[in-house]
Amino acid sequence: MATNQQQVLISPAELAYLHASLSLSPEPIRPDGRSSTQFRPLVAETDILPGTNGSARICFADGSEAIVGVKVEVEKTKPKAGAMINPEEGKEEKGDTGVEGGGGFDDDKKNYSNDWVELAVDIPGHRDDDPGTAFLGNMILEALLEDGELVKRLRINSRFHWKMYLDVLLISQPLSYPLPLLSLTTHLALLSTRLPCLISEGDEDPMFDDDWAASTNLYPPRGEKSKLSTSRPPITLLVMSVGHSILFDPTYEELAVADAVLAVSVSEEPTKPVPQDTIATPKQAKDRALRLLSIRSIDPPSRITPPGVPNGLNPATNGEVAGLQPKHAEARTAEVPATEGVWKAPRGGVSRSVLSAMVFKALEKGGVADEVLDGLQGVEMASEILE
Amino acid sequence: MTSLKRSAGSDPLAQNISTKVYVRSTKRGKVQKIVREQYLRTDIPCCSKICERCLKAVPRNAASQPIDFVLSDRPAGSKDYPNGLYLVPDTNALLNGMDLFEQGSAFYDVIILQVVLEEVRNRSLPLYNRLVGLTKSEDKRYYVFFNEFRLETYVKREPKESVNDRNDRAIRRAVKWYNSHLAKCKAKKIPTVVMLTDDKANILKAKKEKVPAFTLHDYVSGLDDANRLLDLIAISEERGAATDKKAGDHLYPEHYTMSKMMTGVKAGVLHQGIYNVSQYNYLEGSIKVPAFPKPLIILGRENINRAVDGDKVVVQVLPQDQWKSPSTKIIEEEAVTKNENADADDGSDFVSEKERKALQEQVKKTQTTAIKGTSQPTAKVVGIIQRNWRQYVGHVDPTSVGQAGKQGRRQEMVFLIPMDKKVPKIRLRTRQVAELLGKRLLVTIDSWDSNSRHPIGHFVRSLGEMESKAAETESLLLEWDVQYRPFPKTVLDCLPSEGHDWRVPQNKEDLGWVNRKDLRDLLICSIDPIGCQDIDDALHARPLDNGNFEVGVHIADVSHFVKANNAMDTEASIRGTTVYLVDKRIDMLPTLLGTDLCSLKPYVERFAFSVVWEMTPDAEVADVKFTKSVIKSREAFSYEQAQLRIDDQSQQDDLTEGMRTLLMLSKMLKQKRMDAGALSLSSPEVKIQMESETSDPIDVKTKQLLDTNSLVEEFMLLANISVAGKIYQAFPQTAVLRRHGAPPRTNFDELSSQLKTKKGIELRCDSSRALAESLDNATDPKEPFFNTLIRIMATRCMMSAEYFCAGTQAYPEFRHYGLASEIYTHFTSPIRRYADLMAHRQLAAAIEYESLVPSQRSRGRLEAITKNLNYRHRNAQMAGRASIAYYVGQALRGRKTPAEEEGFVLKVFSNGFVVLVPKFGVEGLIRLRDLADPEPEPVFDPENFELRCSGSRDVTIALFDKVLVRVMDHKEEATGKRGVRMELVRKI
Repeated sequence: MATNQQQVLISPAELAYLHASLSLSPEPIRPDGRSSTQFRPLVAETDILPGTNGSARICFADGSEAIVGVKVEVEKTKPKAGAMINPEEGKEEKGDTGVEGGGGFDDDKKNYSNDWVELAVDIPGHRDDDPGTAFLGNMILEALLEDGELVKRLRINSRFHWKMYLDVLLISQPLSYPLPLLSLTTHLALLSTRLPCLISEGDEDPMFDDDWAASTNLYPPRGEKSKLSTSRPPITLLVMSVGHSILFDPTYEELAVADAVLAVSVSEEPTKPVPQDTIATPKQAKDRALRLLSIRSIDPPSRITPPGVPNGLNPATNGEVAGLQPKHAEARTAEVPATEGVWKAPRGGVSRSVLSAMVFKALEKGGVADEVLDGLQGVEMASEILE
Repeated sequence: MTSLKRSAGSDPLAQNISTKVYVRSTKRGKVQKIVREQYLRTDIPCCSKICERCLKAVPRNAASQPIDFVLSDRPAGSKDYPNGLYLVPDTNALLNGMDLFEQGSAFYDVIILQVVLEEVRNRSLPLYNRLVGLTKSEDKRYYVFFNEFRLETYVKREPKESVNDRNDRAIRRAVKWYNSHLAKCKAKKIPTVVMLTDDKANILKAKKEKVPAFTLHDYVSGLDDANRLLDLIAISEERGAATDKKAGDHLYPEHYTMSKMMTGVKAGVLHQGIYNVSQYNYLEGSIKVPAFPKPLIILGRENINRAVDGDKVVVQVLPQDQWKSPSTKIIEEEAVTKNENADADDGSDFVSEKERKALQEQVKKTQTTAIKGTSQPTAKVVGIIQRNWRQYVGHVDPTSVGQAGKQGRRQEMVFLIPMDKKVPKIRLRTRQVAELLGKRLLVTIDSWDSNSRHPIGHFVRSLGEMESKAAETESLLLEWDVQYRPFPKTVLDCLPSEGHDWRVPQNKEDLGWVNRKDLRDLLICSIDPIGCQDIDDALHARPLDNGNFEVGVHIADVSHFVKANNAMDTEASIRGTTVYLVDKRIDMLPTLLGTDLCSLKPYVERFAFSVVWEMTPDAEVADVKFTKSVIKSREAFSYEQAQLRIDDQSQQDDLTEGMRTLLMLSKMLKQKRMDAGALSLSSPEVKIQMESETSDPIDVKTKQLLDTNSLVEEFMLLANISVAGKIYQAFPQTAVLRRHGAPPRTNFDELSSQLKTKKGIELRCDSSRALAESLDNATDPKEPFFNTLIRIMATRCMMSAEYFCAGTQAYPEFRHYGLASEIYTHFTSPIRRYADLMAHRQLAAAIEYESLVPSQRSRGRLEAITKNLNYRHRNAQMAGRASIAYYVGQALRGRKTPAEEEGFVLKVFSNGFVVLVPKFGVEGLIRLRDLADPEPEPVFDPENFELRCSGSRDVTIALFDKVLVRVMDHKEEATGKRGVRMELVRKI
């Protein structure tokens, strides 16, 4: 379910042109001249809201703009049922994306809870209980939680944790599907998030340094000593296919002719914590290992039945009213040959090979995800220098 | 991808706005990031009288007047700075040298920077309050400069800069700005602004930046009277020096961190309470915590871990095998730790051999008794939440002074022995040992590090020659925290302008007469002790036509003169009570009110607050009325005179008849009270007779109690109870009442087991009534004083009565145990007690005479006031007793032959016993070693409270024994303390 339920206001001829030029191989021709893996240019800044623990703003070139604010507060950790009997067994099952790869930390046995993070998405013109909005929010949150690294960072001691509130605001009209924008902004806001410096020890009631300058980064910048692993927050990329072309960061027009749209969440493979005395070497694209957190398929507008169209007029039902015997049983299977210059909504599924190619491209070394992660890291560095 | 950040330069107003970011942790555990915008101004004045530009720019108030510029145009200078100096102390200079800044001889024209003021506040609230007091005083010329808000002096914190460094930089920046700012003035002599600091790093940086700066030490050295002033600087470790010390050097265990303590207390693993030191043993303390019915005992220097009497500490209970019973031995610090060297304090043996020995004997015995289950939980101090250090009075231990110190001016470490036995010896660094010897000194404790055996302190001022009356009286007042300074001008300004000529207005239309009853025709008289000047109360009684009596209690209408929340009211609420010493009275209210305008003097009209009852001949209250009134007392009797007048049957006038009625009713009232279970308790009370000319004490007499004493007392109690009911009805949340809690049963454990074993008397304490009865029965036919003795001891087991605010307790808790009254307050002595004044205001509001000001209705505020009142009352009592004890000593001193008096054994220890001499109302300790030389062999029987001595002197001392003792005045050479010393003559 996409948020932009509105009718596609593009003429069939335009759609046909788009479809044709996007399905060109080897290199599709995109309306704005980008390559298939290229992101739209964006403008980003961090620490824009002084009252928050971390914040970021990103503007895409098409004019869409988002702000994310992160607030944290201390909360008492509910003891896990059974924790009293054997605290070692209080391991949180995190599904298949668990910790097999980077596992082996003691932290994994502690009772983390996904309740520690709360995320709210606000899209202008939509109610906050709108299914599309909720779906967007859940997709971003899902990636953060599946990564597992975020909640680990929120632990204070065995009795207390930080409760994190992420407020994700789209401040322009949703011109294209805003998922990549919101995800990247969230990523950036988390990178800039700082937590007050803990001065109590062990399992004592937490006490914090009142000096904000002493606060620590939730995700310590590269090259800084830290007990935590050097992972970064996950990002969610939007990938679409038209025929055999795979396109990243689709625009509104491109989505209109998509065969399939996937939201692919990726994060870095967490590394073992570096020993305190050695400085972690900044990781670049070449030594970053990416891992897949989740895939969600999103219905492109082309696959959505326009609202309020009776079955008799709906090509998907072949003009038949439910309950009535089809008059021309053979007419259903009769494929009308594609007419040149007239776009027809895709029917049927997308082939597995295309889907796997989409995922593979997202995870490719030196590919889009790497490029984006490096780019966002550049923002973080720049804002630090400016400060 | 590009990054975008608005540059600060693009906003034209940006330079005037700054932000302050910090983390705030609330009590309930919330942690918030706070961002405050700070607007930087250019119109905050430098406040120097030579500066014309600031005067022009300064914002004006509504009357278009600028603030007063405080800094003098010709401040005091020094040799190097003949043009004068403005001083800018940094935080450490103030923390270590607050006493210096309060001196009258130097330290004028001081600029207190906002950043410093805030830092002082974070570090020490008492010092902050003193600093604020200084900045408000007019003659000291202190100016608080808001450097954080002035554009030129605002300093932005650099990345990776610590807060301290940033603040120090801000101070240097402010000093620099001040100098460049003043340099532009046209005055001929432009003073230099210098920074005073106690921080080496800061002074080095100042030198580098060419900011004029002194260390506090260097500056003071250049002043007159430097030696005395240098002693006032607190001794502190240089910043960073403390870390050099190895962990092995610590004599005491380190205290826990605050968060660790709070977690422990919340979890119930640790306990929090006020640490109290035993009166007889300085190495034993106790702490009352809610989790245990009996107080926890803390034994030994290591377990006490630097706690000082009154500190709020956190303790950990020790394992059961270390539980002990309270000590039965007297251990006095000066005897055990004599001849210690103050300089070699950081020495090796921490628990000295002598101390160990003193405690060991105790352990031996407790092991035998512990089996019988008398042992109590013991605990150790793990941290201190809040120090309750005050200024202590004491004197220098002459034995700790080296030869060099007696002659030279070298700085030396000496011991100061506090007057209060519960306070440990204080190490004092001084350059003027020779002058300080033999003087009463006021000192403060600066710190007590874990590697120092004794706390370290500094000298504040000398009170004068020891044993001089002025010094002893002042030290007594200081020890009990009695506010004895003369009333400030602001308070005196609140007095009526007519002064002594104030009269009740003749014109009944006058505002003072509104809602006031004219009771001038009643035959009212007052009965007080001889020579009483502040007459709070007067009485009258007259028969009514229906056979009942009208009885009136008239109380001085102090609330008419002391309006809520003016300076006089505030001062009175701080003083809390008038303090009576033997030769001196420290008033709560200025004398004009206390002894004249409010005092219900005879033959003159006075405003009063009257409680008038209609009473049946059986002394039942039929009706009660409260009213503001005007009265005219016919006579002021002393108790004796009143008694004579009543007893003299030839006197048949209405006034005397009224007094007889009062006496008759009072006896019935008393009987009723006794039937209800009121206790008649006792404390030894004596009166000092003074020679009228020199006011030297010549004799000590026990106070005589007459019927008339009880007459006044009964009606005052009745008035208090009636008023309490009325104000509680009107203000169920905020009425100021007085309660006396039922003592916990455990308080009587010791006394009742003593009575049972020694006299076979059962002491029942289920209710006040049962206790009253068993006290009545606790008599010894052979010894009339025995009953009083038991009453004295029972009184010591009681809780102390306290003021409280009605909303803080449930109704059953209001009960006054001693008076067996359900509700009680203080109403009858507003001249000398602030609580009564509050009751007056509440009663006036309850009868709709006038409305209560809002602050008198705020429960939080009233709670704070009652807390202070309780504290002041206790101290006033203690000061009064201490004064009597001092004068008893002085009276004995005058005698040529030592008096031999009867006494009673109050308490038996394994190496001594305590004797009470009722005639002088004094207690004395007789140690075994005082009995004979060599010390007799003792056998202590704690079960039977007996001490059998053999060897050099055969005598058996048991509890309650009557003994003949020789009482004499005595000065201990080592401590210079003068007190009563007793010697056992024989048993009777």
